[in-house]
Amino acid sequence: MDWILILSKAFWCGWGAVGFAILFNVPPRTLFAIWVGGAIGGFLKFTLLQLTAGVVLASFAGALAVGISSIPIAHFRHAPPMIFAIPSVIPLIPGVFAYRTMLGLMKLAGTIGPDFNLVLSETVNNGVKTVFIIMALAMGVAVPMHLMRKESVKHIRLGKKKQANFT
Amino acid sequence: MNQQTNSEAKEFGSLLLDVGVYLLSSGASCSRIRITMRRLAIAYNYSPHISIAPKSISLALNDEADNALFSGMRTTPAQGVNFKTISGISRLSWNASENDLSVQQVRDELSRLIALPHYPRLVILLFVSVAGSAFCFTFGGTLLEMIITFGATFCGLFMRQEAIKHKFNPYICVYIGALVASLFAGAFVKAGLNINFEHAFATSVLYLIPGVPLINCFTDLIDGNILNGVVRGINALMFALAIALGLLSAMLIYNLK
Repeated sequence: MDWILILSKAFWCGWGAVGFAILFNVPPRTLFAIWVGGAIGGFLKFTLLQLTAGVVLASFAGALAVGISSIPIAHFRHAPPMIFAIPSVIPLIPGVFAYRTMLGLMKLAGTIGPDFNLVLSETVNNGVKTVFIIMALAMGVAVPMHLMRKESVKHIRLGKKKQANFT
Repeated sequence: MNQQTNSEAKEFGSLLLDVGVYLLSSGASCSRIRITMRRLAIAYNYSPHISIAPKSISLALNDEADNALFSGMRTTPAQGVNFKTISGISRLSWNASENDLSVQQVRDELSRLIALPHYPRLVILLFVSVAGSAFCFTFGGTLLEMIITFGATFCGLFMRQEAIKHKFNPYICVYIGALVASLFAGAFVKAGLNINFEHAFATSVLYLIPGVPLINCFTDLIDGNILNGVVRGINALMFALAIALGLLSAMLIYNLK
C-alpha cells in the first residue's frame, strides 16, 4: 500500500470539494466540514482501489461515507446535509471515463476499421463504468438521508439532549 | 371565515410561495422544498397542499377545518445554484416555528437572505481552478499538467461567467466554458510539451459537471417525485452534451486525435 499517495490524493480531493463548494456559494462556516468530507471520500475510494476493489464499489464506499458523515455534521453545523454531501462527492466523479466514452463514441461514428470491435468494447465498458459510478455516488449520498430521516435531520437525536422550549 | 383571515392567508400564502420558488431555483430537492414549506405552514396553523413542477410551484392553503383560504402559483426566478439560500431558509423555517416570528419578520429575513452576496469573483475563480488541478492530481496528473489545468479552468470559468452576464442560454454558456478551457489546455499539447493530453483535456472541463442536478435527480427519483427527477436528469445530460461538444470543437480546431 502506498499510503503517501493515498493521503495526498485524499488531501487534494478535499480541495476539489472546497472549490465546488465555493462555486455553489455555501455558507463560510461549512467550508472546513466540506474539506474533511471530500478528504474522507477520497481516502476511502483510493484505499479500496489499492486493495483491488472495483472502481464502482470504491466510489460507492466513498460516497456512502460522505453521505453518512454529512448527517451528524448537518446536525451540529445547522445546515441541511446536502450542503455538505454534494460538494464532497464531486471529486469522485469519473471524469476520465466520461471523456474516454465520448471519444469512443466519436470514433464509432466514423468508418468501420479493423479495430472497430476493440473500440466498441472499450467504449461500452467506459460508458457503463461512468453511468454506474455516477449512480453509485448519487445513491451513496441520498440513501443515508432517507434511512435515517424522521422528516428532517433535526429530529434525529445524536446523544445531545434537545433543550425544552417550554417550562 | 372573515375578511381579516382571508387577507392574512393571502399574505402568508404569497410568502410561502416565495420560499418555495427560491428553494427550487437554488437547487434544493423536491422533498426539502415540501418539508420546509409544510413546516412553515403548520407553524402558522394552516394545512398546505403543495405541487412542485420543474419550474413552478402551486400551493393551496386550508384552515384546520379544511376550508379553502388561499390558492396560488409562482414560477421560479432565474438563478443559479446557491446553497447559502437553502441553508438560510432551512434555519429560518426552524426559527419561525420555534420562536413565533410574525409573517412580516419572516418576510424581512427572507429578503435579507436573498440579498446575501456571493463570494468575490476572484475567490471563486481561484478556488475552482485549484479544484481543477486537484482533480488532475487525483487522476494521476503531474505538476505541469496540474498547472495547465489551473490555467484552463481559470480562463474557462472566466469566459463562462462573462457569458452568463450577457444572459446567453445556459447550455451555450457551458459550451463556451468547455471550449475556452480545452483550447487553453490543447495549446500546450499542440506546442509539443511532453504531457499526457488525456489528463489535461479531461480534467480542464471537469469544473463544468452538473453535480447538483445529477444528485438531485436521484434524490427526487428515490422520493417518488419521478417527473421532477426525470427533468433534472435530462437537464444534467444536456449540460454533459454541451461539455462534450466544447471539447470536440477544440480537438477539431487543433486536429488532435
